[in-house]
Amino acid sequence: MSYTLVVAEVRRGVFEERNLDSIGIAALLQKSIVLLMPDGAYEMKGNLVNIAIKATVQEEIFLNPLNFITILEKVMTSRGKPDVIVFTHSSSGAELASYVAGHFDMPLITDVSGFDKETNVFYKSYYSDKIFGEFRQAGSGPCVVTVRSGSFKEHAVEKGPAETVALEDITLAEGRSFIEYVEEEKGEIDITKAEFLLSVGRGIGNKDEIDDYQELAGLLRATLSGSRPVIDKMWLPKAQQVGTSGKTVKPKVYLAMGISGAFQHIAGMKDSDCIIAVNKDPEAPIFQYAHYGVIGDANKLRDKLKDIVKG
Amino acid sequence: MNLLVFTKRVPATQEEELRIVDEGRAVDLSKVPFKVNDWDNYAVEEAVRIVEKTSGTVTAISIGDAESDEVLRRAIAMGAKDGFLIEIDQILHDPGARATVIQNFLKKENVPFDAIFTGVQSEDDQFGAMGGILAAKLGLPFVSMVIGIDAFESDHVIARRELEGGLQERVKVMLPCVISIQTGINEPRYVSIMGVRKASKVERKFFKGKEYEDNLNPGIEVVKWVYPARKGGATMLTGEMDGICKDLIGILKEKGVYQ
Ligand SMILES: Cc1cc2nc3c(=O)[nH]c(=O)nc-3n(C[C@H](O)[C@H](O)[C@H](O)COP(=O)(O)OP(=O)(O)OC[C@H]3O[C@@H](n4cnc5c(N)ncnc54)[C@H](O)[C@@H]3O)c2cc1C
Repeated sequence: MSYTLVVAEVRRGVFEERNLDSIGIAALLQKSIVLLMPDGAYEMKGNLVNIAIKATVQEEIFLNPLNFITILEKVMTSRGKPDVIVFTHSSSGAELASYVAGHFDMPLITDVSGFDKETNVFYKSYYSDKIFGEFRQAGSGPCVVTVRSGSFKEHAVEKGPAETVALEDITLAEGRSFIEYVEEEKGEIDITKAEFLLSVGRGIGNKDEIDDYQELAGLLRATLSGSRPVIDKMWLPKAQQVGTSGKTVKPKVYLAMGISGAFQHIAGMKDSDCIIAVNKDPEAPIFQYAHYGVIGDANKLRDKLKDIVKG
Repeated sequence: MNLLVFTKRVPATQEEELRIVDEGRAVDLSKVPFKVNDWDNYAVEEAVRIVEKTSGTVTAISIGDAESDEVLRRAIAMGAKDGFLIEIDQILHDPGARATVIQNFLKKENVPFDAIFTGVQSEDDQFGAMGGILAAKLGLPFVSMVIGIDAFESDHVIARRELEGGLQERVKVMLPCVISIQTGINEPRYVSIMGVRKASKVERKFFKGKEYEDNLNPGIEVVKWVYPARKGGATMLTGEMDGICKDLIGILKEKGVYQ
């Protein structure tokens, strides 16, 4: 049977929303969709596919690449090789996908955000979304893809009750083992509650600039947040990071200064009511998501704004 | 402890206008400055810190054109003992193909290691896949998106890997293994031009990529390069800085976030 295997992501019992993108691309591929997931949130989502395979292991075991190989081998023994194996382009999705591709010598295309049915090409971002590559599988046999969340959601379908298969007796690998989940420390400032976020990126230049942005935020009664490099460089605390590995925010106004608009950042702020972007590069991808844009030097604009507001 | 760390020279495209040329067959990077891949900078730093605390050596490895020697010198300036360059004259877009070259290289040259470090992804192609493919090909345990190393013992590592939304997973991984490093794990040390110049005196070893191409069957091919589909929603505020700022304040007032 020709089928697409969708590997679902379950985190602490919750079927992650981004799985809908994996199911969406599978629907586009027009193959029968088999959903593979750990025990847990299973009951809720079986109806999105034709067949659901429940690996009777906990999610922590399932998200370990060494164990996942064993689970996948079992699936392939019982149902044959899939044509495409789909993962989400998330931390564990990307980890599992690369290991599967290496282990079974399958071609891999990651961070796929489009698929053309006519030509069988997958669209993949390069250079932080400034260019896209159209990729095709070179040979035949199963291939592995990871999909960017938000790209295929609209194709997800309700299929009705799925046939359910349980995978049991999985021998666990010894090379890597789960110890625990660790929760990030809570910061003093909750950026998810702010109505107006002034967000700064690597483009502001260096740490010394932060004080001036802090001052501007004070004057405008905005809350300061930042993109990942700003947090990595410790210009702002981790709790103030916007993005997939930071916080998802939805303020009335999101003013992004010196932020390029990598998708991991966009994913965390795209639902803001009004996005204003300031960037000196007219080609910066963030302008594709902004409602208002300013092409120019963020620090100069900041100083001018400060002068005007101070009166 | 012998640690290998992969480091890549990438175009710094953040502030550049990129042009597709040759009817979609290439992207013109001739005027773009190059730099070390951000993620690899953290990986080199982490590897160097580990050997500084325990003992052993870090070897930096790059696969790329002759100019990639630059990132090896940088890694040596940061504390790597030496650098290997696997010189290839074509861009391998397939991470599986790159991993094959590396796998063959490590085997043929009999390179000893206890752990291999890579960056989570490279800035240019964003595959985020090299570490995982290589680990699987070598039959080694793998842990990606590592944001903290809590212990590095002779036979295992305790690492924290990043999941989404601020959640982390703590895992134990047996050595030898492959670890991919996420940004923010440390603060990479500053490297001066003087430091890089001094590092040039340390011998780097150069290898011809051609020698390691057995079983090199790219699994994917680039059909063409395209520009992103324009959504084109943004209204641009233009004119003098003064006017732009007043318009901006007008928007803030209209949205009700500033009086
Ligand atoms: C697994 C994973 C998770 C991630 N999670 C997140 C996340 O949660 N949040 C996040 O933000 N990123 C995240 N990233 C990183 C993301 O891929 C980008 O690297 C990051 O968002 C880039 O931040 P930036 O836009 O500030 O910097 P850059 O991409 O370096 O962009 C800087 C921008 O500033 C502009 N600029 C330069 N000088 C000026 C000036 N004087 N005035 C105005 N503009 C100027 C430049 O043109 C450029 O567009 C993650 C990456 C991975 C792999």
